[in-house]
This record gives sequence, structure tokens and C-alpha cells, in this order.
Amino acid sequence: MSDPQSWPRFAKEITDPTLAHEKPEALDDLRVLDLSTGNFAALFASSILAEFGAEVIRIEPPAGDVARLFSPEGLRHRGTGLAYLVEARNKRHITLNLEATAGRDLFARLAGHVDVVIESARPGQMDAWGIGYRQLSESNPRLIYLAFSTHGQFGPKAASPIPDYDITNQALSGTPYTTGEAAAEGPPESSVPTKQGNWIAWYAGGGWGAFAVMAALVWRWTSGLGQFIDCSPAEAEMRFTDYDLHWYHSHKRIRERMGALNTCVFPYTLIKTKDSYSFIAGFSDINWAGLTNIMQRPDLRERYPTTKARIGESETLHRELEAWSANLTSQEVLDRVQDYVANKRGPGTVATARLNRPAETLAESHWWERGVFETIEDADYGELLLQGPPWKMSRTPPRIKWACRPVGADNEVVYLRYLGLGRDRLQALKAEGVL
Amino acid sequence: MTESYFDWTRGLFDRTRIFDKPEALRGIRVLELTTLILGPTTADFLGEFGAEVVKVELPPGGDTMRYVTPEATFWQNASLGFFPENHSKYHVGIDLHTAEGTELFKRLAAKSDIFVENFRAGTLDKWEIGYRQLREVNPRLIYVADSGFGQWGPFSQGRASYDAVAQTVSGMIGITGFPARPPILCGIFIGDWFGGMLAATAALVALYYRNKTGEGQFIDLAQSEGLIRSLDWTWVRCGLTGQDRGPAGNRDEAIVPADFLACRDGFVALAAGRDEEFSGLCHAMGKPNLVMDPRFATLEARQIPGNRDELLALVRKWGADKSRVELEGLAEKHGFACARVVNAEDRYRDEHLRERGTVWSYDDPLYGPMVEHGPAPKLSATPGRMRWAAKPVGWHNEDVLTRLLGLSPSRIKQLEEQKVVGRWADRPGAKPPDEWAK
Repeated sequence: MSDPQSWPRFAKEITDPTLAHEKPEALDDLRVLDLSTGNFAALFASSILAEFGAEVIRIEPPAGDVARLFSPEGLRHRGTGLAYLVEARNKRHITLNLEATAGRDLFARLAGHVDVVIESARPGQMDAWGIGYRQLSESNPRLIYLAFSTHGQFGPKAASPIPDYDITNQALSGTPYTTGEAAAEGPPESSVPTKQGNWIAWYAGGGWGAFAVMAALVWRWTSGLGQFIDCSPAEAEMRFTDYDLHWYHSHKRIRERMGALNTCVFPYTLIKTKDSYSFIAGFSDINWAGLTNIMQRPDLRERYPTTKARIGESETLHRELEAWSANLTSQEVLDRVQDYVANKRGPGTVATARLNRPAETLAESHWWERGVFETIEDADYGELLLQGPPWKMSRTPPRIKWACRPVGADNEVVYLRYLGLGRDRLQALKAEGVL
Repeated sequence: MTESYFDWTRGLFDRTRIFDKPEALRGIRVLELTTLILGPTTADFLGEFGAEVVKVELPPGGDTMRYVTPEATFWQNASLGFFPENHSKYHVGIDLHTAEGTELFKRLAAKSDIFVENFRAGTLDKWEIGYRQLREVNPRLIYVADSGFGQWGPFSQGRASYDAVAQTVSGMIGITGFPARPPILCGIFIGDWFGGMLAATAALVALYYRNKTGEGQFIDLAQSEGLIRSLDWTWVRCGLTGQDRGPAGNRDEAIVPADFLACRDGFVALAAGRDEEFSGLCHAMGKPNLVMDPRFATLEARQIPGNRDELLALVRKWGADKSRVELEGLAEKHGFACARVVNAEDRYRDEHLRERGTVWSYDDPLYGPMVEHGPAPKLSATPGRMRWAAKPVGWHNEDVLTRLLGLSPSRIKQLEEQKVVGRWADRPGAKPPDEWAK
């Protein structure tokens, strides 16, 4: 018999992120070149591989990647934009001018030494330069080549020259169409399709890219062969769009936006409280029984006993919930719910949470204890607060080793190690505009 | 003459040849004991790339997602919400509250490479089929525990979570939407899907490590922590400047210009962050002089809030009387980014997405023609694929219990009589289409 109380203690013991640096890294035999420009899907993909131990070499143009300029209100920290400081972790940074023939030659030689190449050029650009997958795989058949673009590398729109951005990817994913206040619910300028505030399509793209690289590595383990991976961040987020296509296919229905309500169930919604908003869910019949018990409104479950009945009256019921929560703080809502659930005062489970602004999330000890946030002292960029890797793992935990490196800071180390180029040669190449 | 790039890629990724190519995860077996979306997607994504996925459900009702369907409308007795995260799986109904049930389950775990669950932290440990017990029967097992708040830490015990809880506690809702308006939910269950993708990625990392060492391991993934990871520059700015982040509407706060535009026949997203793209946009707008305007000439200048607001107002005004197709055409011609805000019908009818298998149609033996989103990344040598649609509770009982555990038909029958093994309840969501019963 195991002691149920000890599960969290055991789980912490085997995954404690403060001990991560003492454990092995899963991908420490892997070498990656990331030559993407201005693309946080590619950067997140290489961040994941770097967090798991791969040696990731970022190739930037001599003036630095434009991604270093993407930053709110143009904020810079020691010359680099804030977004880049988050996705440069554990990566070496070298410069190389791919516009120059000599630069492309050096790139092809470097690519002979690596397992994975990641790029975000306009589809066909690398191939036209003679350094795409078609050419590189001839001398390095084990190479896994991951390319990011909005419309992908094949298909009727693949030749489209539009650059890849999160906002256009989000729009094409279908998510903003179903997000936001319904027309006429509020002022016309805000009752519109709404994007997520963060770069969710780029992060979805990067995650899928890293997933695909890992699947390709598993395949390479048995076949010895690499392959070409075509990843569109728009399609990456599209894969997440629930049953949208199914509903159109089965009933010719198009899902529309509903603000804080959900198309399938009620309640699964945000309600106004005395001091903020709270999310609250209790949508299956038994959990609805639990919530109406907590609210002391058994009449509501008698009148609206089924999902079908509740969905049809979500707006009315939403007002009923807000009439209850108007006199409670979000903490009081949580306390009442937890008292009911933890003490099993009746049937059903209810989930609730206070709506956080990021600074409020940062103030909660849970995330700090779990290593979700870390303050690290970076040799080049000083003290930085970063979100850590999202996984806890018992044997090969991911980790942050350093945050970022200045443009070209690792030129000497990398070019000497892989191509045998010494300081004089590098200076000459720099003078020629190749590095 | 060499083949043109796009002729070459068309052949390399040809959708019609997918089933003639190998699968990356062939020979990998995934066992899942999951509900709703977070757990099921973790296993589903591995299944898309060739893993065999055995989905154990508690009979007769099964996974709660079988009852989450738009406007509570079922289709052929199935929940539309259950299909998108349950492809090509083998559905088995086992009652894990019986001793024989947990025994069967452990035997399945002994024959699996990856196990995925998304119960509240500690639940399966209490049922004696958690990591501590399963690693005894299978030390090579990779155990993925998906949850709302993680397996340990102050919020981890006894607190229920859903996708939108993760959206709420992560700060994602707090930075989305328009200032001074009520908060909104993301239209999709983003915390679940994003978390499932992260968890599946870690499972593959663990598999890669296992190939080298033979050792399995334990993975703890909280969907809230996945979303926190995705909030780009939010945290680093707070650390450096103390500034909190709130909603900013549809404009991108870090790239200028990047915004949604209301145009004549709908909405588009537009972006021109690099200076050469901005120059293209100015020419498309018929205002080439803006390129030289010191307020807008460089990205750094455009990022200054006052300049940014003036510029976005100009772009919005310019776009208002254009059509979506006109704006998309101008972007292609002048080298900036523009794309319409699409809905389900737009995607369903999109020839480009069909040719790429991003919109994937197939003929399911039970439900007939299906149209869904296909695998997201396209792999040239080992492409992902959808093979069949989700099935009723316990649909593959005989197949799995005979093939994997060697049980005889009479033994399975006996287990069904003892209610250790079970199948669907007679209710929409759990049961087959009416047509099938006839």
C-alpha cells in the first residue's frame, strides 16, 4: 500500500527542478543550426531543443537578426529587444552573411556537421541559393531540415512571397474568428474577431516544429535517414481549432464568437466578482448540481437540468451566476468552491480561478516553487526574469544554462571548432563582409 | 534541367503517396487513461505519426468529452467535440475500480512504451496504477502525467482544472482582448491543445533518451505552465521594468505595423515589421513618402507609441474601403504580410489546405465521409496520417484483449459478465450510430 499523502512529496523528489543541473540531458548528442530571421516559431523550436540539451547554433546576419528588434514600445536591454532575450536560451550565436557566395559556402560546410537545420526563409529561397534540403541532404543524408513559412513549402499558395508573422498566422488558423465579443455586444471597434495577446501561433508553430524534429529523430534511429519537415505556424494553430470543421461538415454550421461563453456547455465562463473576474465551470449535470449547491440555488438545476437546457439559456444563467458572485471576491468564490469540493459536501466538482494579470501570476509562490519562473544571472545580459521550460522530468529534465549572447559572440569558438578557422581568417572574412 | 523547387516539393510531399510511406513511431505503443482534451491530444499526436494508441475508458459512459458537443447536438450519436483528439485509437472499456480491472490494466501497461493520464494529481497513485506501481511492471515505461497545476506544489492538490482555468491563471486572458472591456475566453481550448503538444514532444524526447539508455521516466506537464511559457516577452519585461501587461486589442505590441483591419467585406491581419516590408506597404498605400518620414522610417521609430498610433490609424483608414482579396493581392505584390481572418467554411473549402492534407478527408467505416484537420507538420519521409475516427466506448475490446493480452473470447465474455470489461452506455455520445444497430 502506498501512502496517498506522500504522492506530491515523491513527485517533487523525482522531478525537483532545482536538481535539474545534476542530471543528464536527453539531447546532448545533438547539434542544431537555426538560421531563421525575425521568426519566433523557429526560435521557440530551437529553444525547446536547447532546453533539452542540444547544442544550438544561431546564425545571424552580420547586423544581427531583426528578431532582436521586436519589442514592446521598442524597449531594448543592452541593445537587444525583450522578446529575443526569452528565446535565445542556451544558444551559441554566430554571424554569417548568406547574401554572399562565400557565406553560403561556409553555411554548407557547417551544415555537414549538424543533425538539424532550422530556417524561415521564403519558400524556395534556400534552394535557389543552393543550400536548401535538396542540396544539403546529398552530402548529409542524416540531416533533418525544418522550414517555417505561413503557407508551407508545397500547395497552390506555397510560392506566395508573404513574410511569416504571428498575427497573419493567427488570422489564418481560424481562432480569432471564434474569439471576442459578438457584434453589437459592445462598442463596434472592440466587438470584432480578436487575436490572442501573445504570439500563440508562433509558439504553436515552434512547438510543432520541435515535435516533428523529435519524431524524425526517432525515425532516424532505425532508418539512419533524415528528412524535410514543412511547418506552417498557421496550420500548427489550426490543428487546435476543436470541432470547427466537424460542425461545418455535419451541420453546415460555422462557429461564431461568444465573448466569455462557450458553444458546447454552460457554465464554462468568466463572471464578474466584487474585486475582479473569475472563471467558473460546472457543466456536466453532476457538476452543475455541485455548483447550484454552492450557490444555494437548487431551483436553477430544477429549471435547467440538462446541458441542452442550459446552453439554450446561457445568457440568462450567466446573469444568475453574476448576481451570486457580485457580492463575493474571487478569493471568496474559490474558498466556497474548495470548501465544497475538498470536504465532499455534496456531489460534483467545480473548478474556479481568479482572473490574473501577469503581475498577479508572478506574485503566486506555486510557480516559483515549481521553477516555472527563474531569475537568472546571465554573463552578458545580467539579471533576467524568465519563464523556465514547462516540463518536469525525472531523468532528463530540461533547463536554462544561459539566457542570450551578443551578436557574433561565439564566432571564434564555433568556426574554429567546426571549420578550423583561426582568428586571422575570421578577421579577413569579417572585412570581406562574410561574417 | 533541374526540377523547379515547387515541382520537387509537390512530389516530395505528395498527399496521395502518404500511405505508401513509413511511419516515424511505428512499433511504439501508447496507453492512455484520459478525459476531455489535454490527455487525449497528447496520445493523439503520437498516434498521428504512427504510434498504436490504446485508449482505456471507464465503461459505460467513458470520456467526458463524449458529451461536449456544439449546442449539445450529437451527430450519428457521437459528440463532435470527441473526434478531433481521438483518431485511429483502439477503444477499450475497463472498470478500474475492480481488482481484475487494475490487473488487466497493468498488463497493458507492461506492454506499452508510453502511458498518458490526466487525472487530478495523485489519483492513479491512490488507485495503485500510478507511476510508482507501473514502473515496477515496466521500468522502460515513459509516464506522462498531464494536469492543470502539476503533480506537486501548493495548487496541485485537490483543485480541479480545465483549459480555461489555465487561460485564467497563466495571465493569458489578462493580456487578450480590448482595454476596459469584459474579459473573453479564447475561442478554442488552447491550454489543452498547446499542453498536449508540449507533453507529446517531451514523450518523444524521453523516447530518444530511452533508445540510448533503456530507461523510462516520469513527465509532469501542467497546462497552465505551458501557457505561461507561451507568453513571450511578458515576464522578462515585468522583471526588468516592473511593468505589468494588459490587453492591447488586436495590434501586435512588439511589431509595427501589425494589426487587424476591418475592411469592406470582413477582417484581415496585416504586418510589415521589417523596413523593406514597410516600404512595400507604403507603396501599396500610394504613400511612398511615408518611407522617408522620420516618424516611420525605421522599426525603432515606428515602435514609439505616438508614432505607432498615428501609423496604425493611417493603415486602418486606408484598408477600410478595400476588399480582403484586394489587400491580400497588394501584400503579395509589395512583399508585406496580409491574410484574412478565416472561419470554418473558409478552411473547409480551401483547395490549398486540401492539397496539403491540412484539411483531411477520409471514409470512416462507421461514420462515413469525415472532414477534419490533418497533421500539422508535414514530414517528407514519415508523414503523419489520420486513419479512422473515434469509436464508441469499448469498441475494440476483443481486438485489444485478444491481440495484446492473449485472452480467449470466452474469458472476455466472462469479464464482461463480471462487469470488469464493458462497452458503451445506451446514450448519445457513448453508443454507435442508430444505423449500425439495424
